[in-house]
Amino acid sequence: MAEIPAPTPAPLPARARARGLRRWFEPARIGQMSRGGSIVVYGLLVLWSAFVLFPFYWLAITSLKLPVDVFDGPSFLPWVDFTPNLHAWADLLDFSAKSPLAETLTPYRNSVIIAFCSTALCVLIGAMAAYALARIEYKPRLGNILVFVVLMVVTAVAVGVYGVDLWIAAAVGGALFVLLARSVGRYFKRSVGNADILFWMISQRILPPVVAVVPIYMMFQKVGMLDTHLAIILTYTVVNLPIVVWLMHDFFASIPIDLEESAQLDGASRLMTFFEIVVPLARAGLAATTLLVLILSWNEYLVALFLSTTQAQTLPILVAGMNGGEKGILWWTMAVVIIIMIIPVIAMALLLQRFISKGILLGAVKG
Amino acid sequence: MFEMKRTLALATVGAAALGAAAFAPVAGAEMKHEGVTVNILTRPGPVIAGRLEERGEEFKAATGATIKVATVPFADLFQKLLTDWSTGTNSIDVGVFASGWAVELADSGLLADLSDFVANDPGIQFDDIAPYFREFNQKIDGKTYLITVDGDFHMLYYRTDVLEKNGLEPPDTWDEYLEVAAAVHGQDMNGDGEGDYGSCLFKKRNAQSFWLSLSVAGAFLQTQGTGQGIFFDTETMEPLVRNEGFAEALRILKATGQYGPPDELNLDVTDTRPIVLSGRCALLLEWGDIGPLSIDEEQSKIKGLVASKILPGSTRVVDRATGKLVDCTPELCPHAIDGVNHTPFAAFGGWSGAVNAKADSKVIAAAYDFLSYMNSPEQSNYDVTLGWTGYDPYRISQFENVQLWVDQGFSKEGAENYLGAIAQSLNSPNMASDLRIPGTQQYEGICLDREVARFLADEISVEETMDNIYECWEEVTEDFGRERQAALYRSSLGITN
Amino acid sequence: MATRDGTIGGRRPGEDPAAAVVTTAALRSGRLAEWFDRQARTLFIMPAVVMILIFSIFPLIATFILSLSRVRLRGGGYTMRYVGARNYEKQIFGSEQWHFLGTFEEVSVLGWVVTAAGAGLLAWWLVKYLRGRSGRVSVVGTIGRLITASVLFGLTFMFAATLFSGTRLGTLGVTLFYVVVGCGIQFLIGLGLAVLCAQPIRGRTFFRVVFFLPMMVTPIGIGFTFRMMADTGKGPFAPIWQWIGLGDFAWAVNPWTARAFIIVGDSWQWIPFIFVVLLAALENVPRDLVEAGHVDGAGGWQIFREITWPQIVPVAATVMLIRVIEGFKLVDLPNMMTGGGPGIATESMTLHSFFAWRALDPAQSAAISYLLLFVTVVLCVSYFMLVVRKRAAVHG
Repeated sequence: MAEIPAPTPAPLPARARARGLRRWFEPARIGQMSRGGSIVVYGLLVLWSAFVLFPFYWLAITSLKLPVDVFDGPSFLPWVDFTPNLHAWADLLDFSAKSPLAETLTPYRNSVIIAFCSTALCVLIGAMAAYALARIEYKPRLGNILVFVVLMVVTAVAVGVYGVDLWIAAAVGGALFVLLARSVGRYFKRSVGNADILFWMISQRILPPVVAVVPIYMMFQKVGMLDTHLAIILTYTVVNLPIVVWLMHDFFASIPIDLEESAQLDGASRLMTFFEIVVPLARAGLAATTLLVLILSWNEYLVALFLSTTQAQTLPILVAGMNGGEKGILWWTMAVVIIIMIIPVIAMALLLQRFISKGILLGAVKG
Repeated sequence: MFEMKRTLALATVGAAALGAAAFAPVAGAEMKHEGVTVNILTRPGPVIAGRLEERGEEFKAATGATIKVATVPFADLFQKLLTDWSTGTNSIDVGVFASGWAVELADSGLLADLSDFVANDPGIQFDDIAPYFREFNQKIDGKTYLITVDGDFHMLYYRTDVLEKNGLEPPDTWDEYLEVAAAVHGQDMNGDGEGDYGSCLFKKRNAQSFWLSLSVAGAFLQTQGTGQGIFFDTETMEPLVRNEGFAEALRILKATGQYGPPDELNLDVTDTRPIVLSGRCALLLEWGDIGPLSIDEEQSKIKGLVASKILPGSTRVVDRATGKLVDCTPELCPHAIDGVNHTPFAAFGGWSGAVNAKADSKVIAAAYDFLSYMNSPEQSNYDVTLGWTGYDPYRISQFENVQLWVDQGFSKEGAENYLGAIAQSLNSPNMASDLRIPGTQQYEGICLDREVARFLADEISVEETMDNIYECWEEVTEDFGRERQAALYRSSLGITN
Repeated sequence: MATRDGTIGGRRPGEDPAAAVVTTAALRSGRLAEWFDRQARTLFIMPAVVMILIFSIFPLIATFILSLSRVRLRGGGYTMRYVGARNYEKQIFGSEQWHFLGTFEEVSVLGWVVTAAGAGLLAWWLVKYLRGRSGRVSVVGTIGRLITASVLFGLTFMFAATLFSGTRLGTLGVTLFYVVVGCGIQFLIGLGLAVLCAQPIRGRTFFRVVFFLPMMVTPIGIGFTFRMMADTGKGPFAPIWQWIGLGDFAWAVNPWTARAFIIVGDSWQWIPFIFVVLLAALENVPRDLVEAGHVDGAGGWQIFREITWPQIVPVAATVMLIRVIEGFKLVDLPNMMTGGGPGIATESMTLHSFFAWRALDPAQSAAISYLLLFVTVVLCVSYFMLVVRKRAAVHG
């Protein structure tokens, strides 16, 4: 954990260099690039673009290949070394065929519902919490928190080990908390501040989903909500909540407070201030955050696999299931599924790209 | 899937040709199940699931019942079924899965007893089902819980042209298997000028590789008939994995790697099949699917060049008292052919449908009728001849009627050879049953699979592998209760006492 | 820290989204609005708190209880039995040790050297802190550092006894390999690309959008795609493989090449994230500072080291924190590309835990996931406290 050396004035570099090289790498003016420099820069950028784009290209042409074209070794250019064929697309999108379309359409619809609902919910709840933590002072008592945690452990034991009904245990736990918070809570005067709450919320992101998913599975099973959209929506919302709070908190904090103050002097309520003044100001940040959360929930696999069986299956599970044909992985169909899966997110990204480029993610990351 | 469409078209023509016969049993029960929906869960199609969907449409047209087929990745299938049914979610009415898993489900009371349905259903032609599937695969403790749609056991396949060219006989024992593989490895077998492989086996972890180890080990472990079993001592539940026979099997399995594709350890059965069909393999172990797949000209370069045979055997078998390998004697190997003990292995047992006991009685009735529809000779005898369905023969009429196969494009000889190997395997009294007791998933899918994968990746030695499997199996047995497991193991092998 | 003005776009109050108008119209009138206003304090934060409590804290506790028991799924539910720390024992000392920590045999000379070096470094670091040269010494700080040091020492010994003694890594070692090597590579490339893009070039928006694309693809799809890419026989690079004589080379058979390929797939997806954030940070570096450097005659590398880098260090530290947190959760790629094989060579801890669940052993799965949580929390919190906060304090 070495310290960063304080910026000291640098010694001037030896300027005597070979003349030819110098002409190439010496910018004509400050703020411009030399010819050699720009060749190197563009070369590297184009190289990386190729690395990024090639898998997409490969997916696209694979979706146009017949099995024979795939198994006979690589072919690269449609019409040149293989004849493109829309069979995989037809199989998947042919409205007259019953099975493949239904097989794809249901997960597609599920994915859209789940990803968009959970993103909306997550951004709404997260943004409100982030705003509150940036503007309102909270001082929950340490004693109350301790009481709450102890009660939660007791409830979990009662439900898990002794098979007490979940609702009864939750109700008793809640009632006990109200009682104890009034009495025990008073003896602990220490309280925690906004920074601690913020850290607590953000730290939830450290939780590997696999830690929480088994109890979540059991919880939803107890209330008969397994394999429903709502179960997955709620779980995604919580999993992504820390990101929203993290990103939006600093964003809200950076908005000048005077506008809100003047609005409140005019008699606007907190909610009105939030929706009418703060949200429009934070539009850019909200857009970038929304995109990020949408990507994460659109592509999630593990939680969806746990919580869905048949009705609520999402697209990643469909993709994973492509590894099932007895003629080998159906690379061509899989390529089609992946392509139709990334199209909506890429459209969203292009739509929102100006927000990404403004460095929205930066706000929070600056810590 | 383009060629699949074609086969579909063919299938439709075929179904039409079978005409009235195909629909007769259902036509009688017109709109019997109007408004009933049956939710089926199985592995992703087109294998297994694809044909269920298509037959489901026919079934709906005939009876009014809607068949909905959902799929999850194979590795998650059992866990999904068990949790869905045991936790009372009950979103699934029918599971189509490995019959081996059913004992655990039936033991927990999750499966509907279908015996009465079968008794009142002449259309299913129960006696036509091959004995192993009828008596072992479909039944638990004498009651029918499962309806087979696919008969699964391993066979040996070999390239007739390659062996002929080298003047070799198809291998009869595992040693010969290695010899043949070694002799032909590196030769060009499909005329593309590149060296090809002596043996192609699917050895990927978390897939199907552990069945291979059992297919090899069976020949050394079981000599006295199906009732002897290859997994445990029937009295003490002591695992049969710490003996010279199992060690030999592991060594053979690893030795095949020298004659296989370089990335064999990352190939599952869906990866090896294209390699086989493109003509790059001389020997392989596979389920029955290779037969029909090999004659599909759209993708196969080995039509008419591949023949099948019962799994290789061994002249030396394990003496269970000492764990040593001893030479076969007529007493020790009563079922040996020419002194070679063959143990065909019913790897996986076969895809079978079972019905959720908690489902509505109307749904159970419709579900049974649908499974019976799939299983009946009129449908099944046609479906098993199609490679893409993933269904393999399990009825006597299926391997007695050569014409069915010739219709699909087999040569007469090819069909006779293929069906001969199937009949030889299925009629063998020494067929080894796959494990069918609670915890099968742990015994095989975790302990055996993981340790064999580590052994093949050179992580551990033969002895360590055997010790690890032994310990792991003992742990699972203790966990489920030794006495109970032993009793269930005996009943799964048909030992009644 | 740089100003945040650039980050707020199009601020035009009064231009409300339609939805907000509807909401507020309802709120403006009546007593409902008053009630809402009085409760605003609670209403704003409660949904988030309640959701986290129910779906994050409660499961956390439940998993801990689960990890101390033996669970069996049975017809109509499950049975649970308390077994103490047996599940953890099994992973750390017992029959699953080889799987979690790696195969322990004789520790080699190199292993002891590594252990000693690690111990020495950690001791030096602790002593340095306790002498108080670099700041205030506090009780919490000391305890925290002791925990960090002991976990790091444990991990050092684990690597010394496995990797440096020629035996196999367990899933913990593999996970750390993915996190340290994978994230390290991703940071270097991401930073490099950001620096390139920050040059005065045309088409910056184009590159930015293109480079961001891999973030959109589901990891499952990436797993499949890269399996296809990596195929030395049928993949797009087959001619190249054959040309350099590696046509028969199988990446999935050797543990290290298999792990390397998983890192390639993971990098393809995550470099964009690091790139986008770092590029924004670079664009926020005040131009006059850089120009002043030019005027003083400093070279490109010097300007970067002396001027740019100190400006973006806080951002870099945090973006790496996010990446490392996500890195510990890696599961889809090994699951799709290799199924954890060859042997257990590519199995990450999340995959390990998932396999245990799939084998219907939720208790063991819970124990593994708790061990993962422990390692992740200690390492990430240490990183946050000792690097991110410090950097922010020095340069903020």
